[in-house]
Amino acid sequence: MTLQTDLANLFNIPYWMSSANIVHNIIGIIVYMIVVSIVFSIFGYMVGWLERKVIARAQYRHGPTYVGMWGLFQNLADLIKLLAKQDVVPEYADRVLLAASLPVILALSMFIVLLLPYSPSLTATSFGFGLLMIFTLISFFPLLLFTAAFGSGNKFADISAQRSVLILLSYELPILLVLASVVALSGSYNLSGIVSAQSSSHYFALLMPIGFVVFFIAMLAEFDRPPFDLREADSELIAGWLTDVSAPYYALALFLDYARMFMGSIIIAILFFGGWLGPSILPPFAWILIKALIIAFAIIIIRATAFRMRIDRVLRFGWAWMIPLSLINLLITYMIFVR
Amino acid sequence: MTITRINVGPVHPSTHGVIRLVVDLEGDTIVHVEPRIGFLHRGVEKLAETRMYMQIPPYTEKLDYIAPMSYDEAYVATVEAAMNVQVSERAQYIRVILLELQRLASHLLSIGLLCNDLGQMFTGFMWTFKDRDIVLDLLQEAAGSRMFYVNMRLGGMREDLPADFIEHTLSTLKYLEHRIPMYVSYLEKNPIFIERMKGVGVVTKEEALDLGVTGPVLRASGVDYDVRRNNPYYVYPKLHFNPKYLQSGDNFARYKVRILEMQESIRIIRLALKDIPEGNALGAPIKLRSPNPVNRISVVSRELPRGECLMYMVADPQKPYRLSIRSPNMINLAAIDHISRGARYADLFSILGTLDIVMGCVDR
Repeated sequence: MTLQTDLANLFNIPYWMSSANIVHNIIGIIVYMIVVSIVFSIFGYMVGWLERKVIARAQYRHGPTYVGMWGLFQNLADLIKLLAKQDVVPEYADRVLLAASLPVILALSMFIVLLLPYSPSLTATSFGFGLLMIFTLISFFPLLLFTAAFGSGNKFADISAQRSVLILLSYELPILLVLASVVALSGSYNLSGIVSAQSSSHYFALLMPIGFVVFFIAMLAEFDRPPFDLREADSELIAGWLTDVSAPYYALALFLDYARMFMGSIIIAILFFGGWLGPSILPPFAWILIKALIIAFAIIIIRATAFRMRIDRVLRFGWAWMIPLSLINLLITYMIFVR
Repeated sequence: MTITRINVGPVHPSTHGVIRLVVDLEGDTIVHVEPRIGFLHRGVEKLAETRMYMQIPPYTEKLDYIAPMSYDEAYVATVEAAMNVQVSERAQYIRVILLELQRLASHLLSIGLLCNDLGQMFTGFMWTFKDRDIVLDLLQEAAGSRMFYVNMRLGGMREDLPADFIEHTLSTLKYLEHRIPMYVSYLEKNPIFIERMKGVGVVTKEEALDLGVTGPVLRASGVDYDVRRNNPYYVYPKLHFNPKYLQSGDNFARYKVRILEMQESIRIIRLALKDIPEGNALGAPIKLRSPNPVNRISVVSRELPRGECLMYMVADPQKPYRLSIRSPNMINLAAIDHISRGARYADLFSILGTLDIVMGCVDR
């Protein structure tokens, strides 16, 4: 066993990256990273447009119409406007924390996106503990939002920071418990392995509906979506952790909002809806994108009509419903499918 | 625990106008709320002392920019009381119809804004706002303007109702009767809405009487008091007006009273449209009547959409010597410290939303 075969086994590098020449490998990885980041950004952007359009339709409005066809470039125009504005950092803010947090979240999101498998061949690395790695990275988000909020030194942002930690406390556990049952079902920590386990049985959303619902709700909380958008509760905290964040960072935060939502949709599609599996009329990556877009649409529709929960109720819901339900789900999964 | 002082407003997404609330929080619990008002102060009462009678309605109307016609009517009724002018039967019916339509428009907006305050950004608001717009279309037909009407004259209206007004109103009422149950089911089937409204911001009957709150806030606390019934004016007794009141006194009751009042308004408008007599509805412009008042002091009490308004006028020839307005909003707002003490920070905004403040009226 050479080091190379070890690495090949560990990372399960796809054929177009498994050239013997290490320079080719590096170039292949860089090209993959750039292509996937750009495609993901475009889709994140499109989800942002979809959200504006869908919410507008729910509210008897038209949404963006003027910039580009169906207002497709409205978000781009907003982005350019925000980037052209002055970057004001309040005197009492911790400049380093404020300036570092958001780019770090962006970098982490992109890193997670690169680790995800999109089809049997569109997989950068299929390294054995991909699932754990992704959720370790995701659990950084509330902490980074906390540092951003804490760094801006605003009182509304302070409240937002406290809420961020409370959500971290009560919604990480159900996610991990559901992941445990996903792993028990698929017998693998590998994301590609989880998808291939679903190809031989049903989608995991059918096998453990409770687990899927708990996971979906916990992801809503994790990614700041209503009814858990307590960190940036507009009607209470002005903009929460974004209150004192000025234009360029605000643009970044808006993009991150959509990008994180789309990333969460892809993760749900992989874990519960069989990722790229589907009839062969469409290529595999098309299936995963369709599934992710449908899930993103569901998340957007929830925003259109959901009232915001109160923070004490969010905690109670997390501990009294989500964690017991995820435990029950784990037990049922073990009793029926694993044994 | 240390007490955090938070400054909510004057620039804040859910402060219903320009109000500053200094909130002391202990953890997430409200210890003390201090409203700081005056950002919209224009000195309307003092301005009234320097204007002639017919110049004042545009000022009084802009006090409550969500339901302007009700203030318009209250002022004109005060001048009518001072000059001892009788309002013709048809004009009384028209006024009741328009006032109740204005109440519908106001309550629709209030419920929409409540959705915003509960963090359901702009969906419920846009739904009710669309319906409010349809009601405003009717007022526009009757008064010629969408927002500020100035269509009351001494003893009547500036103009009679347009020919197809009754027909339009009936179809609008039918539409609203279909829409209001839709809102009710949308809101009351939502567990988060119920949880954030029921048992939050409770005002008991005694407290409500002590605080002097009026309007839906008072009736939600189990007090059966409505100026339209207790001190009736125009044709309300003939229409068998029946005030709606609930017992629990919490946010939910305040919201529900508004829904019930809307249904009652629809009923009253229907009856009034059926009974409306023929006749002359036009009133004289104030300047053409003798500008010399008969009564030195006149007090008029009116049930506005937000509570009881009292206009106290000491009359001089040509212009009022003093016009004093009891603003229902100001007194309802003053109760917020008492109501929200002990509530959660997030509840402050739902309480403010159910109190339904208009800052133009608070600051005058």
